[in-house]
Amino acid sequence: MKLLTSLPTRLLAGAVVGTALALSISSGTVLSLLTQATIYAVFALGVGLLLRQNGMVSFGHALYFGSAGYGVGLLLQQQVMPAELALLLTLLGLGLVAFLIGLVIVRVPGVAFGMLTLAIGQVFYLSASRSRGLTGGADGMNIDWPARLFGIELSLLLQPKGLFLLSWAVLLGVMAGLTLLLRTRFGAITEAVRDNEERARFIGIRTLVPRAAIYALSAMVTGLAGLLAALNTGFVSPENLHWSLSGVALMMVVVGGYKALWGPALGAVVYFLAKDVLGDYANHWMAIFGIALITVIVFAPTGLAGALGPLLRPRAPKPARRTAPAAH
Amino acid sequence: MNPSYALQAEDVAIHYGGVKALDGVSLTLEPGQIRGLIGPNGAGKSTVIDAITGRRRLTRGTVHLKGQDVSALGATERRQRGLSRSFQRTSVFSQMPVRKQVELASHKMGVADSQADADAVLRELELLDLADITADELGYGEQRRLDLALALVGRPGVLLLDEPMAGLSVKESHDLARHLKALTSRWEVSVLLVEHDMDVVFGISDAVTVFELGRVIASGEPAAVRANPRVREAYLGSAA
Repeated sequence: MKLLTSLPTRLLAGAVVGTALALSISSGTVLSLLTQATIYAVFALGVGLLLRQNGMVSFGHALYFGSAGYGVGLLLQQQVMPAELALLLTLLGLGLVAFLIGLVIVRVPGVAFGMLTLAIGQVFYLSASRSRGLTGGADGMNIDWPARLFGIELSLLLQPKGLFLLSWAVLLGVMAGLTLLLRTRFGAITEAVRDNEERARFIGIRTLVPRAAIYALSAMVTGLAGLLAALNTGFVSPENLHWSLSGVALMMVVVGGYKALWGPALGAVVYFLAKDVLGDYANHWMAIFGIALITVIVFAPTGLAGALGPLLRPRAPKPARRTAPAAH
Repeated sequence: MNPSYALQAEDVAIHYGGVKALDGVSLTLEPGQIRGLIGPNGAGKSTVIDAITGRRRLTRGTVHLKGQDVSALGATERRQRGLSRSFQRTSVFSQMPVRKQVELASHKMGVADSQADADAVLRELELLDLADITADELGYGEQRRLDLALALVGRPGVLLLDEPMAGLSVKESHDLARHLKALTSRWEVSVLLVEHDMDVVFGISDAVTVFELGRVIASGEPAAVRANPRVREAYLGSAA
């Protein structure tokens, strides 16, 4: 009950922070930076979800980030459906494709899984780069957004404040949705499969579908970020599918920490702040960020969220133990 | 096959190329019976549990539960039909609270009131007071009991235990054996117990089967098996 009441409180706090940021920042450049950070926070949330619930590292989630832009761009080119339906179909299509891919690749453990995601992602990257007739090839393609989206004038939505608030709302919505979903029986099943797949099978859990479902869900979250990016830039190119983008998202997850749902989002904010602040002083800011990454891995393996979490949580008494652990 | 047996394994063989891990093993469990399975390391005791539960594919033979052939079913399906097991190494969900994981297991077994079932099993194994902490905070002996709890939810008809006392102190072993004996008689669970602690095996088993090199070399009542010269020579030695 306490948890149920705390989620709306957190949502409200998040909404207040987002609105305050939008109202108090007048610089379009800063708001644009914050919008990018928020979009990447959603991206990192998808990658972090896979790691948190499946214990799996993906080097290929840019596949879903970029494909979302291509998907909606190609559907809008056909001019056979409203943009809102195109968005929905793109997202559902990505989820379905990811689920089918997941049914095959989540059977593969450890590093081999990461390599598979990398290979699949790069296949799509090369295909998009060379399909000039369909995707514009290496030059990319513009996305023909309509004048109104969800009843709102596009010009209004594309203003720095509008786009930031939209991205922020999506971030909060995704986090709230995932929080609720992971509290259900489905969440418990995925935790059990992650912790001990063999034992999970021997308590009657079929382990393949939950793993594939989490993979698909993480792809859809990443796809949402891809749709926001497509709206933000009005453009999509093979760079949006490149593995290095997946690597950036993974760095955000490592820096922010994946055990808390909000960790990857925090990692994205830190990454963009570092990029902006360090970028002013050093051309090779990534080298400095790399050192910071190593520091986090060594000294705070659970990421910033893991280090900050205990400080932010109200101190609750630990459940009492009736007996001391047996010596062994 | 005889439906009066809770479990009947017939002519079970597992071969890895030329290596015969199990070769023509047959054994039965009557309802509520505890059968101890003993033998030297590498005799095939754990392999027979893997074979019966579907963790390893049979080269030959059949497994029947209450007269129904389950040989072609996977591990999950066999569990859902009442064939449960524990593992040689403690196998729990380390980051999940104790009650949550036992309740999940109970739910997956189709128990209507999984919460009540989980609490009953936890109470039986004296884990109820630790229900809200995560498994990695438990002591080793408590984790072994949790492992047993996960195997017991949904009241399985057959329970295969692979060295449940391994790593426990003498007191913990005897406590667990006491729990096990009480549960099998009260819940009518049939147990196949692989264990190296001879005091426990001969203390709580109704029957004992002895393995050597993937074959059964003796089977019967504990006293008769203990007195069997071949068993003494192959395994028990002067300890008997």
